[in-house]
Amino acid sequence: MKKYRFFGSFLDTQEKWLNKMSAQGYRLVRTGKLMYEFESCSPNEVQYRVEFIGEKSRENAEDYRLFLEDMGYKVFYKNINLNYSIGKVRVRPWAEKGGRIATNSTTYNRELLIIEKENDGKPFMLHTSLGDRIRYYRMLRNPWIFFLVIFGAMGIFLSSIICGVFAALSLFPIAHYQLKVTKIKKELDFREE
Amino acid sequence: MRDNVAGGALTEVTFYILISLYQPRHGYSIMHYIEEKTSGRLVLGAGTLYGALNTLCEKGWISGYGQSTGRKKEFLITPLGREIAQKELSRLKELTEFASEIIGGEQ
Repeated sequence: MKKYRFFGSFLDTQEKWLNKMSAQGYRLVRTGKLMYEFESCSPNEVQYRVEFIGEKSRENAEDYRLFLEDMGYKVFYKNINLNYSIGKVRVRPWAEKGGRIATNSTTYNRELLIIEKENDGKPFMLHTSLGDRIRYYRMLRNPWIFFLVIFGAMGIFLSSIICGVFAALSLFPIAHYQLKVTKIKKELDFREE
Repeated sequence: MRDNVAGGALTEVTFYILISLYQPRHGYSIMHYIEEKTSGRLVLGAGTLYGALNTLCEKGWISGYGQSTGRKKEFLITPLGREIAQKELSRLKELTEFASEIIGGEQ
């Protein structure tokens, strides 16, 4: 069965949808840009997590994918943008070394991983320690800070209202992830993991 | 490199990973070993474990073991890692002895 959806940067929404499909007895077989292909399974046979890996270089993304597969998980690459052009080049100053220039043959359109685990009744978490969760949420926040700076600057220098609106909109995800970081940091003051 | 020798505590995750690597293990084995030894209290997420292994390799506390690359890569604690683990054990002993003296007396 094929379904067509686009979630963009709404990672939690995509994750919830996939878990809802699993609850109805469908597990993922294949992903396309918009397409999700499912096959029948027992209800809740598998659990899903959607993870942002846009900051990783091609090599490190692949290394991480293999690590997750060795853990016994099934892993799918997924795009976060919707763009069909072929010679795409994106600059990502917020990424790690080796991932700052993203092209179609490296990390562009491979910004997300969908990770599937056989349901063993235990919660499925990828990031468990406080320090690692802070690192992960910062990673999710930083691209939006970059958008804010770029669109903010364009909004001011080009007197573009559209750019200004984009800049303003990026404040929501920044605030969303920053709140999470701040909350976890407070816990770090008296608890370690 | 030796930033921990001065006396800061290791995180529980770091210490458990070091202990589990007194024999060579790959990621899956580390995760299950720690879960089993803590009776399910400490369950590491795969992302957290991956990050921790990379950091500990960079610090030189653990290293890749044998020829294994890519798939099912195994890790082992290094002499520096053993030194760090030893220091942490001494610190914990001191702490538990002192804590038992104060808290233990109540029972």
